[in-house]
Amino acid sequence: MKILNKALSENRSVLTEYEAKKVLAEYGIPTSKEILVDSETAFMEAVRNIGFPMVIKGCDPEIVHKSEKDLIRTDIRYEREAVAAFHDIWPRITGVSGGILVQEMIMGKRELVAGLIRDSQFGPSVMFGIGGIFTEIFNDVVFRIAPIDKSDALSMMEEIRGKRILEAVRGLEPVDRDQISDILLTIGRIGMENEMIQEIDINPIIISKGRGVAVDATIIINPNGKKPDDE
Amino acid sequence: MMKQFFYPSSIVVFGVKDDPKNLAKNIIANCDEMEFKGKLFPVGRTTGKVFGRTIITDPKVLPNDIELAVILVPADLVPGTLEICGQKGIRHAIISSGGFREFNKNGKTAEKKVVAIAKQYGIRFIGPNCIGVICTNSGLCTPFSPLQPKNFKKGKVSLVCQSGGVSIQIAYHFSEEHLGFSKIISIGNKLDLNETDYLAYLLKDPETSQVHLYLESIDHGRKLMQLARETEKPIIIYKSNIGSTSSEVARSHTAALSSDERIINGAFRQIGIVRADSIHDMTVCAKALQLKPLTGDQLVVISLSGGFSVILGDTCENYGFSCPQLPPALIKDIESFRRGGVIRMSNPMDFGDVHNYEGLIFALEKCLELDFIDGMVLSLMYGPDMACFFGTEYEAYNTFLDFLSNLSQRFNKPIALSFFAERRFIDTFKKSNVFPVFNDPIESVRALRKNRDYWKVKKHISTIRSR
Repeated sequence: MKILNKALSENRSVLTEYEAKKVLAEYGIPTSKEILVDSETAFMEAVRNIGFPMVIKGCDPEIVHKSEKDLIRTDIRYEREAVAAFHDIWPRITGVSGGILVQEMIMGKRELVAGLIRDSQFGPSVMFGIGGIFTEIFNDVVFRIAPIDKSDALSMMEEIRGKRILEAVRGLEPVDRDQISDILLTIGRIGMENEMIQEIDINPIIISKGRGVAVDATIIINPNGKKPDDE
Repeated sequence: MMKQFFYPSSIVVFGVKDDPKNLAKNIIANCDEMEFKGKLFPVGRTTGKVFGRTIITDPKVLPNDIELAVILVPADLVPGTLEICGQKGIRHAIISSGGFREFNKNGKTAEKKVVAIAKQYGIRFIGPNCIGVICTNSGLCTPFSPLQPKNFKKGKVSLVCQSGGVSIQIAYHFSEEHLGFSKIISIGNKLDLNETDYLAYLLKDPETSQVHLYLESIDHGRKLMQLARETEKPIIIYKSNIGSTSSEVARSHTAALSSDERIINGAFRQIGIVRADSIHDMTVCAKALQLKPLTGDQLVVISLSGGFSVILGDTCENYGFSCPQLPPALIKDIESFRRGGVIRMSNPMDFGDVHNYEGLIFALEKCLELDFIDGMVLSLMYGPDMACFFGTEYEAYNTFLDFLSNLSQRFNKPIALSFFAERRFIDTFKKSNVFPVFNDPIESVRALRKNRDYWKVKKHISTIRSR
């Protein structure tokens, strides 16, 4: 893939959020609408294009944990807030592929995580679980070895301790398990088809009107990625 | 390629000395004790006799048709010994010696020499750093510690073990549970053959109906999954080395690396490998998968004790089973067998007020017959005075287990059986080996969970494969 090769040619092992989501979107995984800009003029145009409420993020290949670096402003509802966010974040973005990401704000109360780890023994392994800030707190994730089929994906959803989050709880609509299955199957496919991808982390996938949208993502690559031993 | 590791026509043991402290001579004693039929040649550096055999000091005089060498000499002498094997036309070896990579850096150099010599002569070997093979059918028993092989019981389970000590305990425990075993292989550092090679062989071995593995690392995950996907035989894995503490021991033990437990769990669930968490749990899994496949989560529970009925109700719920209401007409029929009429019947069913065999048989048959019931948990009391239920005291065990076995066959549903009784009576039931007996009621429900989870995945995989 072009995006992966570009990062490799720049000697990078981490894709930016923008790049990672481009990869996911190319495979058909729903991602939040967003525009990457590197000037104030382009920023103002992007703000008008995306519409409120929006999220503004610093996007820098050197920085994986954006929230820890205070590079995220969510729920921005007015132009003056957007401009202030730009002036606050922009001076701190230094990387060559960096910029400011103007992103539609996906509204939803439930956050899931999905991803991929290339295990040294089992090869590409798909992950699914509870996302957002609760990922680290509950450590509620399960794995299957790629390629996975739909019944594998459905059993992953049954296996997490917090599986009730997928149900019609507290007036929310039930999560569309078929759609989440599609995302998990696709992640497995990405892992099988792109040896250089070592890790994918989509966190959070926000559930909006019952369907999952990838709101933030990281992809780690390694040009010497090895194949699993049966291939 | 593998047969000679289990059925060699003759073996040579290197490292034997007529000395009470010598370990290699125990290999000969163990084989003798287990009535190994092949020829046995002890080789050592000093003359002498062990167990009626003269120690050979010049390997050149060994016959040329020896099929297996067992090598227990210091690590630095292993390459030379393997060279002798090569020259003598021996193509199979068990390298028991330790002191390789698990010990220090020099060990790695010695390993390289061993591999090169094996390659040169086309020798396949088990180990190093292992105790080799116990095969109950051939009587081959290569561990170098003194054992009681007479206590080993023949069975249809074969085991692959990444630890010598665990191998031996498994041999005893599987025998004491009256499951027995066919072959145990202690694989050590896996320098040549690894767990998937042994697994592939055992999955095709007609003497083996289940394969159990004790592993501290999984080195060929994809291959393991492929083998599991293609076999009809259950694979049970006890994987240890989970935490960072045991990881330190494992490094010095068999040079194991721990991989992510959650990935392993996911892989096992996906492919229908049953995970055990202790040696005893392996025996529970073995029995669980001897039962008929459980195809749903609805159970009927019958116990001769009100207390155990309550405990079993909880246990079923904990393991994700339900105990649905039984038809009122059936309950009424069963209640007619009560003596005092003081216990109300439901599911779980307290059978404490029914004191006759006909009542029990009636309930077992009628409950298993129900369409919505997928399997049965049966917890019975037993004492010799109750033998009159099933025949005389001595016939009782077999007769009753035969009856249950036939019942389970007839309805094609599993019955998870346990007794509350003195241990010696439970043991007599187990010993008759007609039908699996669990050690306690909770264990029997856990077994059904393992059975259900296994068959659920297996059925799914076979549907996909037949498409």
